[in-house]
Amino acid sequence: MSSAPTFDVTDRERIACHECDALQQLPVLLPGQTARCGVCHAKLLRIPPGGLDRPLALFSAALILLLLANSFPFMLLDIQGRQAFTTIFGASQALYEADMGGLAVAVFITSILAPTLLITSSLYVLLSIRFNLYLPGTRLALSWISHLQPWGMLDVFMLGVLVAFVKLGNMASMHMGVSLFAYIGLIGVSAAASSSFEPGYLWRRLDRHRWKSDAR
Amino acid sequence: MRARQLGLTGCATCGLLQKLPAQGHGHCPRCGSAVRLRKTDSLRVTWALLITAIIAYLPANLYPVMTVVSLGRTQSDTIVSGVYYLLVHGDWPLALIVFVASVLVPLLKIAALLYLLLSVQRRSAWRKAQRTRLYRLIELVGRWSMVDIFVVALLAALVHAGALATILPGPGALAFTAVVILSMLAALSFDPRLIWDHEESHARA
Repeated sequence: MSSAPTFDVTDRERIACHECDALQQLPVLLPGQTARCGVCHAKLLRIPPGGLDRPLALFSAALILLLLANSFPFMLLDIQGRQAFTTIFGASQALYEADMGGLAVAVFITSILAPTLLITSSLYVLLSIRFNLYLPGTRLALSWISHLQPWGMLDVFMLGVLVAFVKLGNMASMHMGVSLFAYIGLIGVSAAASSSFEPGYLWRRLDRHRWKSDAR
Repeated sequence: MRARQLGLTGCATCGLLQKLPAQGHGHCPRCGSAVRLRKTDSLRVTWALLITAIIAYLPANLYPVMTVVSLGRTQSDTIVSGVYYLLVHGDWPLALIVFVASVLVPLLKIAALLYLLLSVQRRSAWRKAQRTRLYRLIELVGRWSMVDIFVVALLAALVHAGALATILPGPGALAFTAVVILSMLAALSFDPRLIWDHEESHARA
């Protein structure tokens, strides 16, 4: 599709609330400010402070931590001289080996696949816009990021780790693996990264590029 | 003024305000995704997913989510007895968090979606802003219910590797995951703008 927008330019400054459909004018926003719907108070647009450099730095750090978190033992267990460990992937693998294939897929997608896709495609979009590269698939990647977000469950998985420590704590002595330290860092960094990543702001940065069809 | 009254809609993916083509659906000029006035068959799809989630809720809580076989002893845990175990052996703050995430959240989420669906179908005009806020809340918290499934997976992985006992995920875990995923999909397919849509249809009638 290479069509130019078919509506008036003034339309672009107006916005329909995605939760209540109220039509309103977007105020001029400074970095760090958020526009909310005057009717239902939903967030309409936020201009993140720190422009594109901050999310770029944070997502790069998140990618490194994600790789570390998935490369080494995650949790270790000691019982009567025997030792055992698991990686993050080991959680999905154990379900698969227990003939719970569907469950294994759900855990794999939410604990590994979706977070990895979210971090890499966010980096791709940010690099593409920040350095005026307008790489192919930028718009497609930015589109799926917002649909993918609820399925990345790094933070929920972390709560699961805490509970697992308590449950096995009575049975064996538990230790944190190298990867768990990376993972704890990853939780903080990716929370900061996604709060500095605003799809609405990025779409408007792309708009400034005059609807270049090759940026799609 | 609402966008619908002018034949305008915001793209569900990128938010761009645009005029809908005469046939009622088209493609967003900014992001290329399909654009409609409202999510397709929102009420029917949400009902279908929600009812399936409610059906799966029974086996999810009646069947064990995991079975521990250790030294010839077999012990099965359901979602609720797992919380009870944490309360007795662990610490109560963690038990409280898990209770909220895996017992309270799924129940409240199902109840809230039922209420939203029924109130939209009854064209209720009561507290629309608060109902929209309720929707925003359930969209946010649903994912936390996955915590118990991650616990079962991690325990099975560790204990299997250590061979000190066997921890097997039970059929309850599968049903529970179905409840979480189905209710997340139900929340995603519900269109909160429907809460506000009755105004113009009343005005037109």
